[in-house]
Amino acid sequence: MGVFATSATARRRHRTQKLAFVVLLGVTVLLILPVLAILGMLVYRGAPALSLEFLFSEPVRGMTAGGIWPAIVGTMWLVGVSLAISAPIGVLAAVYLNEYAGDTWYTRVIHLAIVNLAGVPSIVHALFGVGAFVLFFEFGTSILSASLTLAIMTLPVIIASTKESLSAVPMSFREACWNVGATRWQTIRHVVLPNSIAGILTGVILQVSRAAGETAPIIFTGAAVFVPFLPSSVNDQTMALSMHLFTLSTQVQNVPQEITYGTALVLVGLVVLINGVSIVIRSRIRRRRKW
Amino acid sequence: MRKVRLISLVSSISVLGLLGFAACGKKSKMIQNKGSDTMINLAQALAEEYRKVSPKVAIAVSGGGTGVGIASLQNNTVDVANASREMKAEEKANAKKTSGKDPVEHKIAYDALAIYVHKGNPLAKVTRAQLACIYGKEGTCTKWSDLGVEVPGCSGQEIVRAGRQNNSGTYAYFREWVLGEGKDFKLGSRDMSGSKDVVDLIAHTPCAIGYSGMGYKINDVRWVCLSKEDADTCVEPSLAAALSGEYKLSRPLYMITSGAPEGDIVSYINWVRSDAGQAVVERTGYAPLPPDQRHK
Repeated sequence: MGVFATSATARRRHRTQKLAFVVLLGVTVLLILPVLAILGMLVYRGAPALSLEFLFSEPVRGMTAGGIWPAIVGTMWLVGVSLAISAPIGVLAAVYLNEYAGDTWYTRVIHLAIVNLAGVPSIVHALFGVGAFVLFFEFGTSILSASLTLAIMTLPVIIASTKESLSAVPMSFREACWNVGATRWQTIRHVVLPNSIAGILTGVILQVSRAAGETAPIIFTGAAVFVPFLPSSVNDQTMALSMHLFTLSTQVQNVPQEITYGTALVLVGLVVLINGVSIVIRSRIRRRRKW
Repeated sequence: MRKVRLISLVSSISVLGLLGFAACGKKSKMIQNKGSDTMINLAQALAEEYRKVSPKVAIAVSGGGTGVGIASLQNNTVDVANASREMKAEEKANAKKTSGKDPVEHKIAYDALAIYVHKGNPLAKVTRAQLACIYGKEGTCTKWSDLGVEVPGCSGQEIVRAGRQNNSGTYAYFREWVLGEGKDFKLGSRDMSGSKDVVDLIAHTPCAIGYSGMGYKINDVRWVCLSKEDADTCVEPSLAAALSGEYKLSRPLYMITSGAPEGDIVSYINWVRSDAGQAVVERTGYAPLPPDQRHK
């Protein structure tokens, strides 16, 4: 033993520390276990249904056979249109709030409103969408109404994440720019935005996956249970993956299980794919900048 | 500065584009068909089949319940509402107020409800009075022994009442048929949001009894022979018996339009009421219209 002999107390502390590590590791594993279990079950049960025909054909025989193409296309329409509305508005609003607006009572009210809007349950957004877009603006149950509802739902999170990435750009960057005579806008355009674009894109893309997965906001505003046609304009109704999954599991009798699980797998796969793209974009932009 | 101008140009164009959407908020060319959950599988099967007849006409089917369909008709946001009951006078008046036209009900099929129990349940027959005793507010039947049976696998022998949510046409129809006008169900029933859910619940619950369309039968459940008056001999549920009027728990299903239908909509409804459409009705598990009520 000699010089480095440890006392009983130190050994006990060491044991306690080890125990704590094991417990913490266990908790972390528990955290990812449900994710792995869900993915595993979806792949196990849903993979047999996957084929090009399943992806690219219409549901037939009362949805108990055929594919999910109209639902995939519908989800893309809904997400695309909602993003075209929420991303520009959200990013511009965040630029204003973070770069121009001072800390006054009305910007504080706006912040409060954004935080609260983010906490509104999606079914309440849905009811608002029916009242505002379907009935008041008379857009009817259509892709436009559903996408506007989704846009309002995703807007606060886009604003919040954009603001966060903007404020992550060090103040000294802006000051250096102003000191060489650049205007506020030139500073934003050439210094702040290029340095925060990775974070902004990540926030926006994560909202895409949220919009793709939501059922409540589209169920009354634009999604239909069954439309054997691909939408041709934003005034049409459409099928959507999340809605289709809901219908398959609650309304239709005798659906082969692999069709239901296959649909879920495609929806989850789409979301994972989109998240993957956002991770790639972020790391590529990060690699170019070093600070 | 050029870039500032460019950006403001782009943003004003996109705002104008949005306003453009708003301006041309015209109705879609699709026939919007919404309403009864009881009819959703039927409406979907009809839309699917009609595509083969008339490939250019798009029909968008959605559910929500008869109440949702009729409300959409009153808001003028639907072309054809599916309803598993007739419209009330008040609803007709409201619909006329918004569209200026009287709603027209087109009978398209009959829905025969069956009383479902778990497949192990020995209950041989049930009368309307017994159902009232189980479901009614004043009813006192809470145990299977009150109906004179012992259900295997049902601990406590407590009757689990399955039913539909209260904006369902099925709910309203069953309540009126069993209890009569203005009476209420007992609280504590399991109110499901779809015809399929009711049957699924019963398939998993030996203690359960419930009502749902005949089209929803699966293997783990069975139908109970039903009589309206205590003295009647009971009638086994079947489409044939529903059609002949012998089986009493059966009601007409409607597609409702605002005013007399025109163009593609009238062609669609006529097709639904023709022999071709009625073949789909029969295949989906509903009772078709008798030949003399069909569209020729």
